[in-house]
Amino acid sequence: MRQIDFRYDLLPLKNRLFRLALRITLDRAEAEDIVEDTLLRVWSKRDELEEVENLEAFCLTICRNLARDRSAKCEAQNVSLDAQPYDTVDLSPDPQAQLEQAERLEQVRRIFDSLPERQRTILQLRDIEGKSVRETADIMQTSEENIKVMLHRARQALRQRLLAQ
Amino acid sequence: MDYKYIEQLLERYWEATTTPQEETILRTFFSQDVLPEHLAQYQPLFVYEQTAATEQPLGDDFDRRMLERIGQPADEAPKKVVVKAQRLTIASRLRPLFRAAAAVAIVAVLGTAAQSAFRQTDQTNEAWDYNSASYADTYQHPEEALDALDAGLAEISDMLNSSTSADSLANNEDVQP
Repeated sequence: MRQIDFRYDLLPLKNRLFRLALRITLDRAEAEDIVEDTLLRVWSKRDELEEVENLEAFCLTICRNLARDRSAKCEAQNVSLDAQPYDTVDLSPDPQAQLEQAERLEQVRRIFDSLPERQRTILQLRDIEGKSVRETADIMQTSEENIKVMLHRARQALRQRLLAQ
Repeated sequence: MDYKYIEQLLERYWEATTTPQEETILRTFFSQDVLPEHLAQYQPLFVYEQTAATEQPLGDDFDRRMLERIGQPADEAPKKVVVKAQRLTIASRLRPLFRAAAAVAIVAVLGTAAQSAFRQTDQTNEAWDYNSASYADTYQHPEEALDALDAGLAEISDMLNSSTSADSLANNEDVQP
C-alpha cells in the first residue's frame, strides 16, 4: 500500500470505528476516546503498515482490541445509559407513528446492546456495517467457521429477544 | 401477494446462511411502509440495522482536534489541481485532422489492394471446374484416351522405379564400401 494519509485514509474511518467502539463499550465518551487512540496508534505505525492490504479492517481490529480492554473493567454495566435514541427514522408522515417507530428502534438497540460482547460485535460488523464473513473473521482474528457459528448464535438470541417483547 | 421468498430468506437469515446481498434484499423489503402482520414484527430490526449504519456522530471538530494532535494544519485547503496553459500552433491544432486523413488514405489503399487481390483469386478459381458433368472430351476415341493414360502412368512408374533403384544403389554402396 502507498503512504498513509491521515486526512484522506484514516479520518474517513472515524464514524465506522466509533460505531464499533460504542457497540462494545456502550459509552459514547469512551468510544470517542477509543477512536482517537486507534487513529493515533495506526498513524504512529504508518511506516510499518505498507504491507497491510485492508487498512479499514486493520483499524477495526485495533479499535475492537482497545474497546475490549477498556470495557473489561466495567463489564457488569451492560446497557448504556447515555446512548441517544434514534430520531432519524421518517417512514410515516404521522408524528405519533414516527414516535412509535423511534421507540421500537430504541428497543432493538437495547436488544443488540444486551447481547454478549462477541455477539454484538459480530452483529455490528456483519449486519450493520455489511462486512463479509471473511472480513469479520479478519477483524475479530478468528476463523470463518467460528464466525458462522457465532453469527448463528447471535441471530438466534436476537430473534428470541425480539419475539419475547 | 406471495411472501414465500422473503419468508425463506428470513428463515435463512436466522440460520445465518444468507449472503450480504440477500440481507440487503431483506432490508430493502422491510423498509416498506405496509407489511403483512406476520412479517411486520421483524421490521424494526431491519430498519434499525440500516439506520445504525448511517449514524455519523463524529463531526468536523473531531477532525480538527485529531489533525492538531498529529501536528498537521487543520484548515489546510484541499489539494490544489495545478493547471498549466499551453500554446497551440496551427500545425498541432490540425494534427488530428492529418491523422484522420492518413487513416482514411491507409484504409483506401488497403481496400483497393485487397479488392484487386480478390479479383485475381476469382479468376484463378474460374480455371478450376470440379463439376465432372461439364467436362469436355479431349480425345475423339476412347482407345486414344486409354493409350495416353497408359503412357502417362508408365512414365510415372519409370520415374518412381529409377528413383527407387538410385536409392537402393546408394544404400548398397553404404553397406559394401
